[in-house]
Amino acid sequence: MTRGKSIGANLDWVLFSVFIIMLVMGVANIYSVSYDAEHPYILDFSQKYGKQIMWIGVSFFLGILIFLIDSDIYRKFAIPIYLFCIVLLVVVLFMPPVNGARAWLGVGSLGIQPAEFAKVGTAIALASYINALNMNQQSVKTVLLANLILLFPMVLILMQPDAGSFVVFTAFLFVMYREGLTYDPIILKVINTIPGVRFKSTWVGSHFIPILFVVVFLSLITLLMAENELSFDAFPGVEIPGFIGVIISLLVISIIGYFILRIFSARRDRNKVSVIVLIAFILSAGISTIVHVGFESLAIHQKERIELFLGLREDPNGDDYNRNRAMAAVGSGGLSGKGYKKASLSSAEANHVPESETDFIFCPLAEEWGFFGSITVVILFMVMLTRIVIIAERQRSRFIRVYAYSVAVILFYHFAINIGMDIGLAPVIGIPLPFFSYGGSSMMSFCVMMFVLLKLDSQRADLLS
Amino acid sequence: MNTEARKYVILIFFLFVGVIYATRLFYMQVVDDSWTLRAQEIAEKRKLIVPPRGIVKDRNGKLIVINKTYYNLMMTEKNITNLDTVAFAKLIGWTPEQVKLRFEEIKLAEGFDIDPKTKKRTQPRYQKIRSYAFVKEMTTEEMAQIAPYLENFPGFYEEITSMRSYPFANAANILGYVSEVNGEEIKEDHYYRSGDNIGRTGIERFYEKDLRGRKGVYYIVTSAMNNAIQSYADGKYDTTAKQGATLQLSIDADIQAYGEKLMVNKRGVIVAIEPATGEILAMVSSPTFDPNSFVGKRATSINYPKLLMDPDKPLYPRPLQAEYPPGSIFKLLQALVAMQEGVITANTGFPCNKSLVGCHPHPSARNIMEAVQMSCNPYFYQSTKRVIQSGKKSNIYADSEYGLNLWADYMHSFGLGNKLEIDIPGERGGLIPDANYYDNLFPSKKRPYGHHRWAFSTIRSISIGQGEVKTTPLQMANIAALIANRGWYYTPHLVKSIGGKGAKTEYREKHMTMVDAKHYDPIIEGMRRAVNEGGGTARQARIDSIVVCGKTGTAQNPHGADHSIFITFAPMDNPKIAVAVFVENAGFGGTWAAPIASLIMEKYITKNIKDKAKETRILEANLMNVAKRGK
Repeated sequence: MTRGKSIGANLDWVLFSVFIIMLVMGVANIYSVSYDAEHPYILDFSQKYGKQIMWIGVSFFLGILIFLIDSDIYRKFAIPIYLFCIVLLVVVLFMPPVNGARAWLGVGSLGIQPAEFAKVGTAIALASYINALNMNQQSVKTVLLANLILLFPMVLILMQPDAGSFVVFTAFLFVMYREGLTYDPIILKVINTIPGVRFKSTWVGSHFIPILFVVVFLSLITLLMAENELSFDAFPGVEIPGFIGVIISLLVISIIGYFILRIFSARRDRNKVSVIVLIAFILSAGISTIVHVGFESLAIHQKERIELFLGLREDPNGDDYNRNRAMAAVGSGGLSGKGYKKASLSSAEANHVPESETDFIFCPLAEEWGFFGSITVVILFMVMLTRIVIIAERQRSRFIRVYAYSVAVILFYHFAINIGMDIGLAPVIGIPLPFFSYGGSSMMSFCVMMFVLLKLDSQRADLLS
Repeated sequence: MNTEARKYVILIFFLFVGVIYATRLFYMQVVDDSWTLRAQEIAEKRKLIVPPRGIVKDRNGKLIVINKTYYNLMMTEKNITNLDTVAFAKLIGWTPEQVKLRFEEIKLAEGFDIDPKTKKRTQPRYQKIRSYAFVKEMTTEEMAQIAPYLENFPGFYEEITSMRSYPFANAANILGYVSEVNGEEIKEDHYYRSGDNIGRTGIERFYEKDLRGRKGVYYIVTSAMNNAIQSYADGKYDTTAKQGATLQLSIDADIQAYGEKLMVNKRGVIVAIEPATGEILAMVSSPTFDPNSFVGKRATSINYPKLLMDPDKPLYPRPLQAEYPPGSIFKLLQALVAMQEGVITANTGFPCNKSLVGCHPHPSARNIMEAVQMSCNPYFYQSTKRVIQSGKKSNIYADSEYGLNLWADYMHSFGLGNKLEIDIPGERGGLIPDANYYDNLFPSKKRPYGHHRWAFSTIRSISIGQGEVKTTPLQMANIAALIANRGWYYTPHLVKSIGGKGAKTEYREKHMTMVDAKHYDPIIEGMRRAVNEGGGTARQARIDSIVVCGKTGTAQNPHGADHSIFITFAPMDNPKIAVAVFVENAGFGGTWAAPIASLIMEKYITKNIKDKAKETRILEANLMNVAKRGK
């Protein structure tokens, strides 16, 4: 690392390369999906591929600006940036609704979605706030303030309403967890009121966030798997009733986890490891059972509502059964796919898979490139996420680290939910796949997010705080 | 607090999800092929091309059933914009209310299926993007008036269909009709799809599989809006449609038309058969109707109820189903059996003993020729008694049982008592009683005569073709044909050739009767005399230039005036045509049935009627109002 040298020398070329590869793949994919024989020229701005390239061009222009501006301004102007985003989120609520949501600012195809940019703004604000905290002196106030930074935009986004972006904001909880910002003060405050109890910290409080996520994750998986016969067929010919399948999967994961942990843990800790794994298994199986039994005991109309939310409810032939169509598109891709521009289900022309240029962009890719294509996308995202975690961990500045983690978890959320809903592992929540989905706001916000990260990382030597 | 280790929690979580997704993708895309099938179900459509039905010609190559182009006015709701209901209704000649009603009708009819188990409505099926026939079966002329203005009504367009057409308004009872298949038929035979036509009666039904042809199939990849995007696999699996086979009927369209003309204002049947081949030359069921009455739903819905309610029953297939005691024509067979059994010879005479069974005044028959000529009842009573009560067993009951069963075998060999298996559906078999019948079924199933409780005297009326014996007009015509042939027949049939490959094999098998050819000659001589000599019962059937042989009969009718029967063939040597005529409530066979039969034969053999007076008398006769009840 050399201070003050050219940007090129300090740029993280691994991350940058993965980023560029994704953009190229994304454009190629959009060109295939919305290909119109009457407008074959890829730079035809009347077509979606032309527009997407235009958005990437605009993003790179913004990128150049970001690289020219000193990275310190993000830390200095964190609060104004954040407030600017909040103002936009408020203003957008007074705009006329598009498709039932007041999410668009501006007119027609030139509109922007403030919710997309609010992710960047919130990431910067949270980074700035955590950067200033002394982690050893946490109080109820610090926890609440950190949560307020998230809650403000979340509530505004929910008012649009935009459930997808709302869910994505919970990604920031992971960042707080990584930085040691815990819910412990709140829990201690409650517990220590009991006479004679005087905890300094609780395990549940400090690991509250991952525990919460495990519970939510398990509940969702239980509901999805236990109720969805389409998605649980462990091996060909071996049909496992959904709920039993979930328990068996948990057991298998626990056993594998046990042996992996044994390898990494010290000899004296081995007994402890087995107890922890056993407790983890019992707890998670317990949660699954409670969710399953609870769900089964619901009244039929309540069940239907939950099933509707999870995308399990519609008739497989109904026009609105998005998930079934999406899964058929992905699954019919086979090993090597149907070939470029040959998506028979998810091309815009066929339109069997709705929103195949935006929310279901992964479908045409998986359909046309098969398993080779889809595994490439998964690997690219894994490489990108791992690389960002590595970048985050090498920062001396906590600000940059928090920001980098924010980028990682947001990208991860989009990746996990977007692809998960195409393969029956996540509820159908309409959020874009970063760098692949068509759309100016998401493309620009993800690019800006990435450029800011690259810029901050390239200047990490300059920052000492 | 050191939280650096927590990076592993996050990293492991990322990679964990990545691995799960990769596994899941591998399973969905590579291992499990059910999603591929689902995708095919969604996007690949198998389209069928329905071929035109095979056409039908008569024995001389005249087209009698053809396909005619019709148009359906189709409607796709999604494409309809700003429909001016009033203008549209005016264009198609409806009222605006009718147009609105039709929209709702389509939505209801196409919108639901009824689940056979729960009897409840299943998923709505009506879709705005689908096309439905708004007005069905418009003629070319009707469509020509509408077509130029259709562009003003987006969402509506014309579609060509083809329907049956019958250039001659004859032979409705033979040809049958087609109509749309119903749900059960679709379930039974996967050839059919909703909207296809299927033969309902007659030739259309019996030769359905030959006439319907082979459907063509092509596969296309479609979009969610049902538009074809491309052909599937470059049409590798596509097949072409093939029109159904052309049927050549044995029917002579001119004779059929002439027969129908003769039978106007009469209820009854004419069946004409070419004896050498069993081919049916004409089969008239009167009153009849125009086969075009059942072309298309619109016409059918008007005509079917009308024809069904007609008191003269035009829809009743008389040649196949009108089962009556054959009357005197049955005596011919009795004479044949008696001679074959050796209980009489051609020269055996019996006195006309009216104490045995009633008879009309005539001199006693000295031989079988005279017996036939004069149709003497006591003669055949006595000769048949010798067959049934032959004295082979000492007990007369056992003797009658044995004799009756032997007699029934003879009758079956004449094609009686069982269906002949003609090639249109709906045929009945008539009735030839045997021992079992009197033991267990007659007079009623509950109280039959019983075993060894009857003898010839109990059942004597069968010897003169009355009582329990029943035959159909088709069987009567077949009797004429087998006598003409001197002892054998081909099963009467209507289709001479399927697609130029000849008749079905079962119509090319000769059926031998149990009576030797030599015994037929005296019978035929008797029939010749009945027509041609004084004292004969069928003098009305005489044709100057042709030697006609015939036998009259009168079927007793408990409900009203007797039915007039006549069977005949001509010429006597090398017969070309055998005819049975059956006229309801027309009394004695010689009066009406015989002249009708002779006109048919003369027309067929000489193409010309010499005795115009006879023809005029028949054409002008109206027997419809002869009292059906009481004589």
